[in-house]
Amino acid sequence: MAKEIKTGEIVALKKIRMDNEREGFPITAIREIKILKKLHHENVIHLKEIVTSPGRDRDDQGKPDNNKYKGGIYMVFEYMDHDLTGLADRPGLRFTVPQIKCYMKQLLTGLHYCHVNQVLHRDIKGSNLLIDNEGNLKLADFGLARSFSHDHTGNLTNRVITLWYRPPELLLGATKYGPAIDMWSVGCIFAELLNGKPILPGKTESEQLNKIYELCGSPDENNWPGVSKMPWYGQMKSSRPLKRRVREIYRHFDRHALELLEKMLVLDPAQRISAKDALDAEYFWTDPLPCDPKSLPTYESSHEFQTKKKRQQMRHNEEAAKKQKLQHPPQQHSRLPPQQHGVGQSHAAPHWPAGPNHPMNNNAPPPQIPAGGPGGHYYGKPRGGAPGQNRYPPSGNQPGGYNNQSRGGYSSGSYPPQGRGAPYAAGPRGPSGGYGVGPPNYSQGGGQYGGSGGSGRGQNPMGGARNQQYGWQ
Amino acid sequence: MASNFWTSTHYKELKDPEEVNVVHPLDAQRGISVEDFRLIKLHMSNYISKLAQHIKIRQRVIATAVTYMRRVYTRKSLTEYEPRLVAPTCLYLACKAEESVVHAKLLVFYMKKLYADEKFRYEIKDILEMEMKVLEALNFYLVVFHPYRSLPEFLQDSGINDTSMTHLTWGLVNDTYRMDLILIHPPFLITLACIYIASVHKEKDIRTWFEELSVDMNIVKNIAMEILDFYENHRLFTEERVHAAFNKLATNP
Repeated sequence: MAKEIKTGEIVALKKIRMDNEREGFPITAIREIKILKKLHHENVIHLKEIVTSPGRDRDDQGKPDNNKYKGGIYMVFEYMDHDLTGLADRPGLRFTVPQIKCYMKQLLTGLHYCHVNQVLHRDIKGSNLLIDNEGNLKLADFGLARSFSHDHTGNLTNRVITLWYRPPELLLGATKYGPAIDMWSVGCIFAELLNGKPILPGKTESEQLNKIYELCGSPDENNWPGVSKMPWYGQMKSSRPLKRRVREIYRHFDRHALELLEKMLVLDPAQRISAKDALDAEYFWTDPLPCDPKSLPTYESSHEFQTKKKRQQMRHNEEAAKKQKLQHPPQQHSRLPPQQHGVGQSHAAPHWPAGPNHPMNNNAPPPQIPAGGPGGHYYGKPRGGAPGQNRYPPSGNQPGGYNNQSRGGYSSGSYPPQGRGAPYAAGPRGPSGGYGVGPPNYSQGGGQYGGSGGSGRGQNPMGGARNQQYGWQ
Repeated sequence: MASNFWTSTHYKELKDPEEVNVVHPLDAQRGISVEDFRLIKLHMSNYISKLAQHIKIRQRVIATAVTYMRRVYTRKSLTEYEPRLVAPTCLYLACKAEESVVHAKLLVFYMKKLYADEKFRYEIKDILEMEMKVLEALNFYLVVFHPYRSLPEFLQDSGINDTSMTHLTWGLVNDTYRMDLILIHPPFLITLACIYIASVHKEKDIRTWFEELSVDMNIVKNIAMEILDFYENHRLFTEERVHAAFNKLATNP
């Protein structure tokens, strides 16, 4: 995460990497800037300005460079407290139905706006959906986004969208596609919100496609006219015909939710529901209705990378607690999500300053603008890392991205090298740390973490003596 | 680019004519007059077109490139931003922004092919370095709406969309980029001005059509007058005068 305090306002910075660019300013950045400058919507992140850091910036090797602009360009965004993945990852947290409806409605409204303005997002996933403490959801990271024309004539790359959210047409090699690709991702997120975990976590493209077939059935000319002419259909088709099982697997979902999900997770992009039609779905107009964003509970700042960070700190704290043999019984908190982490994970992220006495709150001094290191991160998503260890599969890697290593995104290189392997605690939703804490009850509406003093709520579930603060805001 | 012109940076950044033709103090010190300034911008617009035609770049990209170049000089001096480097750099940038990428190598190749003159010789690294300066000078404001977009629609609507009218108006729109009109007026008014000139020239009476549009015809006529003035004076823009202007730029005050 990059924060800057400028005239008292906290903003988010996204660094535009200029390394390894033979063709000057990256076209992907130009696209993103152009797109963000033309989109003005309450559910789309607002690009405030672009700043270039004055003077020479240290590059990764610390050697001066001929190009004084190298590494010194940042996009300045409004600061958002959470991303959807970070929020959903909060251990024990369960979204309420009106809350899910509220997020889904905002996601679809923002996406509909993009599609009307002929922009494909091409990387819809939880960590790119930012949420502020007023419950507003905004689409962010347009680094892979593109303008499209309605006739779909242009050849576009199919190496986009993070694997788990990538639609079958891209996996089958389509280079002409439209807004339906984003709608598939929305379907995956929708199911994930209802299901509590990612629904199609493939490790490779063929595994991803198989998972899709297992869920949605195998494609044929009946359910998807033209599929047999897809570039990679021959090598990627299902070994045996599979039946569609969405209804069966997700039979525990609410009827209207399932109905909508069925329309989103349609193999044939031409038959997949549009954002506009999805907004008209019964789901959003039946009780319980989507809640007002303002009524949602506010949470301590949580981004995907921060929840990870917290787990690491918790582990340190836990170790310290063990040493002190302070084994208090775990406390049940009715409102606060307990801090949990998987047991026995090997955490190797030495760049987070997580000493035993490190406070739990996130009010670490924000890095200054020209900071070369982790400060250059946009919403601080972890970049790179060994596959399998990482919580997220590599994103669709677009040729000519900001940084062609490891991911189509930005600046994986600006982590200190040892930070590269920082594992996302594998199995974030795995077995809880054994604290025996039940899921907190986020009652609708009154969820502002209560109003009484913080004395009882700030306690460390492990009973450590530290003065921990959950920074409710 | 789709989306609404009225919410765009293009609209927000429109300038008054007086703001556009202000000679930067640094240039004024070298004796550059408003006329010289205009001449150099015209010359550089022509250079961009010529270069682009050799590389076979679309007209729309040329228009964007010229607009970038003109935007740069509303903020920066000719002295500090060498026009003979800024012009091809704007073309390079416009190619990216309009999704028809041209490699810097190819651009530099044609630059050298087109002009043997030392003063036009630049290398890839010069272009890339200037690109950043141009982006900063533009304040990363890259969206341009062009008069071309509304042209077919207007011609159709006014019922004069035959081939000769299309050609004439299209050519007129191309020529508007030799002026600063794109920095000053909303593009659709420039389109209307071009249609107005063409209709008068071809003696097609579409006055009622114009009247039915809810636009201020005075502005349209003023733009048309500016375009006609430009044609009137066009033969005065000689190579010698361009050279003289560039020579002034080269002198140290």
